[in-house]
Amino acid sequence: MSEGETVKNEYDELRCTINGTDYSIAAPPSERLLMILRDRLGLTGTKRSCDIGRCGACMVLIDGKSVNACLAMAYQCGGKRITTIEGVAAGGIDPIQQAFLEEGGFQCGYCTPGMIVSVAALLGEHPDPTDDEIAEALSGNLCRCTGYGGIWRAVKRAIEARRSAAT
Amino acid sequence: MLLNRASVGERWRIRPDGPAKVTGSLEYLTDMAREGMLHGLVLRSEYPHARIRSIRTDQAKRLEGVHGVLTYLDVPGLNAFGIARPDQPVLCEDRVRYVGDAVACVAAETPELAARALALIEVDYELLPVVAGPIEALRGDAPQLHPQGNALHRTSFRRGDVEEGFKQCAHIVEETYETPRQMHTYMETEGGLFVPEADGRLTVYSPTQHGFMDRMQLSRILAVPQQSIRVVSSPIGGSFGGKDELNVQPYGALLAMHTGRPVKIHQTRWESVRAGLKRHPMRIAMKTGTDAAGRLIAHRASIVADTGPYSTLGAEVLNFATEHVIGPYRYDHVDVEGVSAFTNNGMSGEFRGFGGNQAIFALEGQMDRLAERLGMDPWAFRKLNLRRPEDPGPFDQPIAATEGAVKVWEAIAECSLWLERGAPAESGQAMLEPWIKTGIGAAFTMHGAGLGVGIPDPAGGRLTLAPDGKIEAAFGYEEFGQGLIATLELMLIEQFGFAADDIRIIIGDTDAVPDSGSTTASRATSMMWKSLRRLKEPFASRLLERAASVLDAETGELRLGEGGIRERAGEALLLTYRELADAEQSPIRCETSFSFPTSPTDRVGAHFMYTYSAVAAKVELNVLTGRVKVLRQFHAVAAGPVMNPQGYLGQIEGGSSMALGFALLEDAVMEEGRYMTRNLDTYLVPTIADQRGAVDVLPIEHLPEGDEHGPRGIGEVGSVTLGPAIAAAIRQASGKWVTRLPVDPASLQETPVFLSEAVNGG
Repeated sequence: MSEGETVKNEYDELRCTINGTDYSIAAPPSERLLMILRDRLGLTGTKRSCDIGRCGACMVLIDGKSVNACLAMAYQCGGKRITTIEGVAAGGIDPIQQAFLEEGGFQCGYCTPGMIVSVAALLGEHPDPTDDEIAEALSGNLCRCTGYGGIWRAVKRAIEARRSAAT
Repeated sequence: MLLNRASVGERWRIRPDGPAKVTGSLEYLTDMAREGMLHGLVLRSEYPHARIRSIRTDQAKRLEGVHGVLTYLDVPGLNAFGIARPDQPVLCEDRVRYVGDAVACVAAETPELAARALALIEVDYELLPVVAGPIEALRGDAPQLHPQGNALHRTSFRRGDVEEGFKQCAHIVEETYETPRQMHTYMETEGGLFVPEADGRLTVYSPTQHGFMDRMQLSRILAVPQQSIRVVSSPIGGSFGGKDELNVQPYGALLAMHTGRPVKIHQTRWESVRAGLKRHPMRIAMKTGTDAAGRLIAHRASIVADTGPYSTLGAEVLNFATEHVIGPYRYDHVDVEGVSAFTNNGMSGEFRGFGGNQAIFALEGQMDRLAERLGMDPWAFRKLNLRRPEDPGPFDQPIAATEGAVKVWEAIAECSLWLERGAPAESGQAMLEPWIKTGIGAAFTMHGAGLGVGIPDPAGGRLTLAPDGKIEAAFGYEEFGQGLIATLELMLIEQFGFAADDIRIIIGDTDAVPDSGSTTASRATSMMWKSLRRLKEPFASRLLERAASVLDAETGELRLGEGGIRERAGEALLLTYRELADAEQSPIRCETSFSFPTSPTDRVGAHFMYTYSAVAAKVELNVLTGRVKVLRQFHAVAAGPVMNPQGYLGQIEGGSSMALGFALLEDAVMEEGRYMTRNLDTYLVPTIADQRGAVDVLPIEHLPEGDEHGPRGIGEVGSVTLGPAIAAAIRQASGKWVTRLPVDPASLQETPVFLSEAVNGG
């Protein structure tokens, strides 16, 4: 048995945590996380749009950091803690989601799950980001409907809501 | 008053479709799956122009797990589609005319198998010369793409004698403007689920802007009655005109009917780019002249549009551009000619703004150039030549008169951004790095709504007190993000007094809604408003009459309210809608149907209702990089009353972002009929980093006394006016005129003074 085959066998079983649940998924090591989530697990809140990591519609959290699920392969997800939009909303509407609702930070909604995941990653790291940090963190999430006005307002409101909740 | 959350109070509401969108639980039609479904793929042409010698599918058919491999031989009905003229083959038989042309389609048990089957189909092509642009398409020796030649459509409009007019002019400006092949870039690419039902019918779950139009086109292709097809078409992950025409529906439908199994199709971004519609690239030459005092005398425009290989709505877009190159100004002499030419480039078609974006970029460019030639303020120059409310429309047709033109003009004249333009530039410039320049510009739009004269433009809707006591509003419109459901809900609350909980909205399902016409041309909100106005009296009367009989009261003592029938004089709830429904043998139902109002003229494409918009924009230009940032925008929009404040703001903000992309970033580049920009790494749309500047929106709600038409459309106009305003601002910042969009940064780069001084030892 060659070394390559050993590696292959080892990774045929993807073990990871998705939205707090432990999974063991039989998947080829090169299968993209996006397809695992959507096609195998039915977690269709993670959207497919460009397939090359340029639009952010498939953004998920891997160990708290935002990652395009179309660029993450199964073998890269072993042992990781993955959170999708369904996980963000698991405990009811999250304050970030509430801010998007109240400010109208979405229209067609197709980019919205990925956008909210990126905001969650940003605020997880910087609870009080500057405008430059917001622009940087969300520049990988394309929205074609809103012109980003409602998204700016929603992010500001989410920051404000967290700040008031903390004090 | 500027439109924002604080200024509109309780009318700013959380959208009914919001919670499902922010939590990811909303099932889009491309998210759907069925047990045992197959995966469909479409084989598209390898070449922009070729003859098909043969198509061999045997190997693909033999592959295990492949259940259908279809070619033109398998199309039972009309092997063509197209909203206006069905001349686009569903599956090509003997010739391909662009790289998106479909040659075969397959359905297999997995996407990988479908891809393998596609690769096993052998198509023998004989290459033909490529018609790579509209100008060469119209040369006498160009290969002819259709039996009628390469001109899809020609337009002309004349008033007075333009040559005589130019003789009287003291100032004449001539310029040629070019606009890009802009892509809709809806985030959800085309797709859906196609389900053959046990009763022999077919259910099509696939986004479109007019379910009944898809149903009609699919029935022609499948050769089945329309009633045997159900089209479910909302929710939609963005469309902007791009999903109005059929896209993958014919293939999904054919494969589902052929295999007897559900078939899912979801195009990749590259398939979407390759096959999908784009905005018509246009080349617009203009010659416009004034007298010595600055009054416009003569205006000539010549439009050449690249419509790509098939018709779809190319002719209608050209009609629209022909009307909008005339615009809101008064001239004695006008001469417009337009031609839309078939080419082997990508498909051009319907796109938010519908030919107005290109036309108005050119027209407003002329206004700025003439004002500068005259030494006049560009906004004062426009006022001097602006239409009066009672003036006829651009085609000399009667229109619904409003004071919108002058009111948006005044709003810009008074706004702080425009006042800043007149302030001495040096004071601000002193604060900036020497390679940063700023400029402020403004532009004006008069944008038509509805499909115009000569095209059936039905409208209508239905209200029902359903057996479960819900007030059911059924409209044949689609939700693609614009907020149609939220707008309809708010109109029902405000016009009838219902509570949100009393209402159930049904859209996007041909089995459940009346044909309300298309969700296009900035028409849906106007038509829902008008429908509810027509339904209000009959529906309310019937509810109150029935309630009066149940309650043994007089109708005059009752009113509709939240939760049910209430006493007119007070708040007391006398009968819930549920109780009223329980007391009825059959649902109480009222339906209305009518047409979008049109101008009494025989000029095809002429409009009757217009929205007026004016935008001032401030830009920052870095002359080292040639890059332009939009720092601030002020939009004044005269479109009658605001039906849904959040939706209105979102349409103007979102539309203007598309205009920003049109002006500064976006172009689906083609060379010899092939796309060079195949995905979002090279086709750049604005990101949040491009949209950091404030966008102020001032709605002007005023309508003349007795106006019967209510809210005008705002779905498209936001995408139009900012482009020419940016071009004007770049002129002020750089001293350079923009003639071609998107602006090429290289054309704005300069060697700054301090650098040339350093080099010259100065």
